[in-house]
Amino acid sequence: MDRRDFIKLTAVTGTSAALASCGNPEHQLIRFVPDEDITPGIAEWKPSVCPICSAGCGVNVRVMDADVRTVRSGQAGVVRMNVAKKLEGLPTDPISRGGLCARGQAAIQITYHPDRLAQPMKRDGARGSGSFKPISWDEAIAELVSKLDALDDRKALAIVTRPHRGNRDALFAAFAQRVGAPAPIAYELFSDDVLRHANAASYGKAQLPTYDLAKARYVVSFGADFLGTWGSVVAQNAAFGDMRQARPGVRGKLVQVESRMTTTGASADEWVPVKPGTEGVLALALAGKHDIADAEKITGVPAKKIERIAKELADQKPAVAIVGGPALAHTNALFTATAVNELNKALGGELLGFASHNAQLSTLSAQPFAALADAKLLLVDEANPVYGAPKAWKVREALEKIPYIASFSRFVDDTTAYADLILPDHSFLESWTDAAPESGSLDAKPISAGPVMKPIHDTRATADVLIAVAGKLKTPVELPWKNGEELAKSSQPSTVDRRQANPAPPSAGRQPTEWTDPHFDGAASDYPMHFLPYASPAFGDGSTAHLPWLQELPDPLTSAMWSSWIEINPKTAEQMGIADGDLVDVTSSQGTLRVPAVVFPGIAPDIVAMPVGQGHEHYTRYASKRGANAASLLAPVTEPETGTLAWAATRVKIARAGDADGSLILFAGEKYEKPHDHETR
Amino acid sequence: MSHVSHERLTADLLRPLEQTSWRFYLLVAFLGSIVAMGLGTWMYQMYMGFGMTGINMPVYWAFYITNFVFWIGISHAGTLISAILRLVNAGWRRPVTRCAEVITAFALMIGAMFPIIHLGRPWLFFWLMPYPSQRLIWPNFRSPLVWDFFAISTYLTGSLLFLFLPMIPDFALIRDRATGIRRRIYGVLALGWRGTTKQWHRLETAMQIMAIAIIPVAVSVHTIVSFDFSMAPVPMWHSTMFGPYFVAGAIFSGIAGLIIAMASLRKFLHLEAYLHPVHFENLGKLLLMMSMLWAYFIFAERLTTWFGNDTGEMNVFYVTQRGSFSPLYWTMVVCNLVIPFTILALRWLRTIAGCVVASFSVCIGMWLERFLIVVPSLSHKYLTYSWGHYRPQPVEIMITIATFAAMTLLYTLFSKFVPIISIWELKAGDHPSAALYPAPMHEHKLGETHA
Amino acid sequence: MAHKWGMAIDQDRCTGCGACVTACHAENNIPTVGASQAARGRAMHWIRVERYWEGEFPDVKLKFRPVMCQQCDAAPCEPVCPTYASHHTAEGLNAQVYNRCIGTRYCANACPYNVRFFDFFNPEWPRPLDAQLNPDVSIREVGVMEKCTFCVQRITAGEIQAEAEKRGVKDGEIQPACAQSCSARAIVFGDLNDPESAVSRLARQERGTKLLEELGTLPKITYLAKQTQA
Repeated sequence: MDRRDFIKLTAVTGTSAALASCGNPEHQLIRFVPDEDITPGIAEWKPSVCPICSAGCGVNVRVMDADVRTVRSGQAGVVRMNVAKKLEGLPTDPISRGGLCARGQAAIQITYHPDRLAQPMKRDGARGSGSFKPISWDEAIAELVSKLDALDDRKALAIVTRPHRGNRDALFAAFAQRVGAPAPIAYELFSDDVLRHANAASYGKAQLPTYDLAKARYVVSFGADFLGTWGSVVAQNAAFGDMRQARPGVRGKLVQVESRMTTTGASADEWVPVKPGTEGVLALALAGKHDIADAEKITGVPAKKIERIAKELADQKPAVAIVGGPALAHTNALFTATAVNELNKALGGELLGFASHNAQLSTLSAQPFAALADAKLLLVDEANPVYGAPKAWKVREALEKIPYIASFSRFVDDTTAYADLILPDHSFLESWTDAAPESGSLDAKPISAGPVMKPIHDTRATADVLIAVAGKLKTPVELPWKNGEELAKSSQPSTVDRRQANPAPPSAGRQPTEWTDPHFDGAASDYPMHFLPYASPAFGDGSTAHLPWLQELPDPLTSAMWSSWIEINPKTAEQMGIADGDLVDVTSSQGTLRVPAVVFPGIAPDIVAMPVGQGHEHYTRYASKRGANAASLLAPVTEPETGTLAWAATRVKIARAGDADGSLILFAGEKYEKPHDHETR
Repeated sequence: MSHVSHERLTADLLRPLEQTSWRFYLLVAFLGSIVAMGLGTWMYQMYMGFGMTGINMPVYWAFYITNFVFWIGISHAGTLISAILRLVNAGWRRPVTRCAEVITAFALMIGAMFPIIHLGRPWLFFWLMPYPSQRLIWPNFRSPLVWDFFAISTYLTGSLLFLFLPMIPDFALIRDRATGIRRRIYGVLALGWRGTTKQWHRLETAMQIMAIAIIPVAVSVHTIVSFDFSMAPVPMWHSTMFGPYFVAGAIFSGIAGLIIAMASLRKFLHLEAYLHPVHFENLGKLLLMMSMLWAYFIFAERLTTWFGNDTGEMNVFYVTQRGSFSPLYWTMVVCNLVIPFTILALRWLRTIAGCVVASFSVCIGMWLERFLIVVPSLSHKYLTYSWGHYRPQPVEIMITIATFAAMTLLYTLFSKFVPIISIWELKAGDHPSAALYPAPMHEHKLGETHA
Repeated sequence: MAHKWGMAIDQDRCTGCGACVTACHAENNIPTVGASQAARGRAMHWIRVERYWEGEFPDVKLKFRPVMCQQCDAAPCEPVCPTYASHHTAEGLNAQVYNRCIGTRYCANACPYNVRFFDFFNPEWPRPLDAQLNPDVSIREVGVMEKCTFCVQRITAGEIQAEAEKRGVKDGEIQPACAQSCSARAIVFGDLNDPESAVSRLARQERGTKLLEELGTLPKITYLAKQTQA
């Protein structure tokens, strides 16, 4: 008897047994024969690579058997499979060192998400409505092939991805190049490209630095939330812990310079609030290269404090300065980054190094999506620019006009809702994955890992799909790899240089260490507040908002869950009669958002901050139509040299819009440990 | 007040049993439907899950425990009034005792429902009982909740006895006047009472014993209920004075409940000849005294807390006196102190109507007092990050309302089947038999205000 | 000698990232209650990272403190449970026996740390999220209390493995999910009866205190205060 007959026999006997036992259709599930070895109750640990951010942590996955509902040949049934149960850091991995961040822990929910696309989908309604109907892989691939073949001009094929995804970048770059299309547009909202540019000039390496914090005595961070959301967070946390308490009698000091308190700021010994965009002047002043009195005028930091920190930096060695985050999200970001590099040079720089692999430089023009206007066919992979790009770039409008859009997304998100065809990828646990950590450890090397479990849905590895599609074109295109496994295991050239696609505009002839005022969108008279969107510890730039554990994770600083909010200084809030939860209208030149307020002591009276990540129109049942999208208020201000979005350069005005409506959900009941301590008798 | 003849007395007090107006049926139907809705709501809560209530982290007890303590508190009126007044031979107690004892019995039954209603898995409530279980484990006798179980069941048993014993002669009276099935039922209930001297003597002895025994039981019950709170390290719960405080509060609310019950009976069963203004005056004075006592406890607690300035306790102090609970707190003070004091201290206001108004005020105030003991403390414990708030949900409100309806319904039904005023005791008050009372004792007669 | 499990939490290392919270959910099958239930105060974070502000802008500070069941040796939650659902084990853990719990919630009121959580409804995991559930941890039904167990399933598994290999449990071999996931290594778990274990050595540090020590609960978690620079 072959397996097919066996399954049929099981199906028939199973069904009749079920029918005999009860009439409940739930019990008429067919139990398929497992197609792998199952050792019940015994766990196996397998390596994988976390794809949530670009750090590339090595992950250890606990795999055990479980029942999984599945559909085979149109039959609903259940099968016993070895499935991932828990993610942990891989102890031998130099980046994760056994630890994992909250988003990494939650990544397992991608595989088991109830709204994950289980098979290819074809648009079944108006463009952008998000309604799709299932189709087979054969149909889907055939359709994409025919659409590609129908393109007269291959230059009209546009590809939108996000950067820093290891060999997946190379896959799409190779596909574009060999098919004759322009290089993919790799966009992310919180880009560190300015720092890479500055490092290329300062150190000859267009790469994010790796900081040996464990050996540091003194660290000054300018805007970089390196313990929360910036850089290689897990590795940086591990090094920070060692910096504090791993050396008997020696404890490193952290000074955090930023406009809004982050978890890094909370962990710091000293928190130094600065006026937005002035971090670079402070760095130069600390390096002895800018007059301290003038620095006080510009930054708002008292001169005595600048002097003291400068002295401490000189005395307590080794010391290092870090820069990132909002400090590099201004129009003068290149100046700021270069200034901090100058400070590091003055400090000696022995704690600043570069991992051996991979400088990734992508220079986007000031309007990276301009090319979409001419596109006739768009491929979208792991990108959500409808959500994360400023409205003024008109990504949504461009997508509405592109005749055909295909996405490899695993979920229907704001951008994939505009697709005509979805060819869902596996989740990372079901697939060959790789990462090429750019920073985090000097011992970092590219890593790859195979699937830890069989796919639970009828999805296919995008590499395999793209390779197959390329091979099926009228003039077949051969890619350098036969399948996803080969791709993951291959090592790529260390620089993926996309500069030829969008040449950078010529520099204005300014010296990089000459102080440049940051420019903001909106006149201060009309828009009196600075608007600071920030990467959410739970959602990053919004890409993990669909995971329920992360929605319910209380925000470290506000304890908010399932919410959007705007952070307002207590005195400002009191003046405007705003209490926790009250609704506030936040208006920039791009529009207005109505969000509940959180009274936030760690921010200046003229700055308001809002986490990025909520406000998706489409993103599964957990994130759809929840909260507001901070990115939608951003004006298209860019840093002139690199073209990166200056996302901290938007000004807003705020107005109280109403009483609390219950949309702000806080886990904590109180902000202070001893709320009545200030009352004397 | 002139005496009524014994024939008239019997006729008046048995009339509710013998005549039923349409108003009775309407009232029972109305109350019954509310009670049915309450029961249905409870079934709904059990079916849908306890999450239908407003309970959350950290306010894990709220309405149901408030009701539990409130009703157990109300139950103190009956027995204590009845027992103490019997022991000191206060004559004016005679028309009052059964009304009071019935309140105790029903309030206890209703109150005892709440520990079951508030359970997460109420179908397992019997695990609180000490029986040789298949789990090979006894209940945890260190737990105040298990003490509650014993205390309440003891008190309930004692109260039912204390209620039932003096009903025997009245059952006999009805039996003798009844025919058919009524005769049979009341005959059973009368336990073969013939009214012999020996039987009277035995009855009186038994009631003396019960009167003495029930007082410590009553005191212990509410003390043990107070231990539910004071044994936990919760700010403003962990207080050494909770025992006496709760007992005083229980007597306070119990007297209020009794006044309301008596006033209602007087009006609806036309018992003006038997329940005189002086009864209400006397109870009113007791109520005033308990109001003073309650105020004393509150003052002592608040002053001690404020003076001590313990951080945890002051958080609760502030939130009740001037924070989010302050409207309820000050309402409670007005209801428990200001209104009763004003009405009951001024003789010209101390009428029946005045006493009833004061009593309603006290009932509201005492319910609020229970609520303000439970919820502000739980929502403001030691770690401020975990502070929370509570909002009652429809299921809790419905069940609370249903218990008031149930109390009224049970009372109404009781007064339909048993004379609400003890007939033989009223008669005995007029003609004390030497066999019943020790000879030298002189007793107050109805209407007399001095010895 | 029997183990006595304890923890040391270093507030100088903790950066408030919340990985411990998510890891605990993943390991212990904790239900995600959803937005409307979370708004009603029913989110079930067996471990939570408390945050407290101090001061006023610009001299403002924020402090993090991870709090989970302190496994008190004089636990106030134990004597008040009428059915012995909350009881002390020989290894010093406060065990919560779901099957014995009838849901009086007295233990949660008595706990001064607010670390006990109640199942207000039967938990739901929309398929296939249920495939992720840890088979070593029971699913709790509506009406029972639950709380941090120091990942007792991992402790038991570690002890069984050690016994099978005829050796003692090595210090650091057993890691509750929170300690395992912490990238700053702020949470250390181990045997307080072994004076040389990492947790014992950390517990002896001068900057170690116990939370709400004045209440006499004898908690087994030592909090190492954030140090200030000399």
